[in-house]
Amino acid sequence: MSNLHEDPAALKALQDELYRAKVRRARAMTPEQRLAEVFELSNHQFGMMLAGAMHRLGTRDEAAGWAEVRRWMQRLDRVRDHGLYVTEKPAGK
Amino acid sequence: MTLESLAIAVVEATEAAAVDFMVVGAIAAGAYGVPRSTKDVDLLVAVSVTGGVAATIESLKPIVEFEPQVVFDTLTWGRRHVGQSRSTPPFKVELSEVFENPFVQEEFRRRQQVFVPMLGRPTWLPTPEDVIVQKLRWGRGKDLDDARDVLAVQGPETLDMTYIHAWCARHGTTARLEAALAGIPPM
Repeated sequence: MSNLHEDPAALKALQDELYRAKVRRARAMTPEQRLAEVFELSNHQFGMMLAGAMHRLGTRDEAAGWAEVRRWMQRLDRVRDHGLYVTEKPAGK
Repeated sequence: MTLESLAIAVVEATEAAAVDFMVVGAIAAGAYGVPRSTKDVDLLVAVSVTGGVAATIESLKPIVEFEPQVVFDTLTWGRRHVGQSRSTPPFKVELSEVFENPFVQEEFRRRQQVFVPMLGRPTWLPTPEDVIVQKLRWGRGKDLDDARDVLAVQGPETLDMTYIHAWCARHGTTARLEAALAGIPPM
């Protein structure tokens, strides 16, 4: 079996098919169902982050795990939001 | 506290302070595009009621710790109040004020009321066209993905593309719109 990563056309076809499947699934949902999924995914994501943080710290202490998740989130915000926000508006803006 | 519990609390606090609002960000994009996870409850809030935003923040204090200083985004110079839930998970709450910007005013004027069963109440969302324009304007990786996803799920044939093209031209984001459309494979 050939390596898909060495065949750009085949890789693109696979990417497109995966994306089409995601879009078809979303199209079959109502806006309310899609909103419900945003909430479910978001809650689940933090559950997975907590598990990862506790594993990384080698602890069963949930409070320590959440503190680590908070630290990760703050670091992520600093990276994602770098240069996007300031606390003082320049004159003339 | 779950994201939906926090969203309900924020919406209720906003309504109690008689502040007009709409839910924006990933929650709004997820309503029209491909749902994805988020760590934020983002609202665009009107400032027509004097002290309304301050009252909203005050009533949320038991569950949300807001930063003492407002921040301004360097793209539009809009004011926003940023907070983090006191309980876990550490979700963020952002209240962005409606301000004198033609697009922000227009998207707020066009907001639509939608009943959200998971919140057990109606809430206000931007139109899908306005989500696309706003996401293309911000232009971060996740914003561009959200814009493409809303275009793909709704289908350009069902959207007011004239409206979207017009705002993208004003914002200088036409190339981003074209790239988003080109990124959608034939369905």
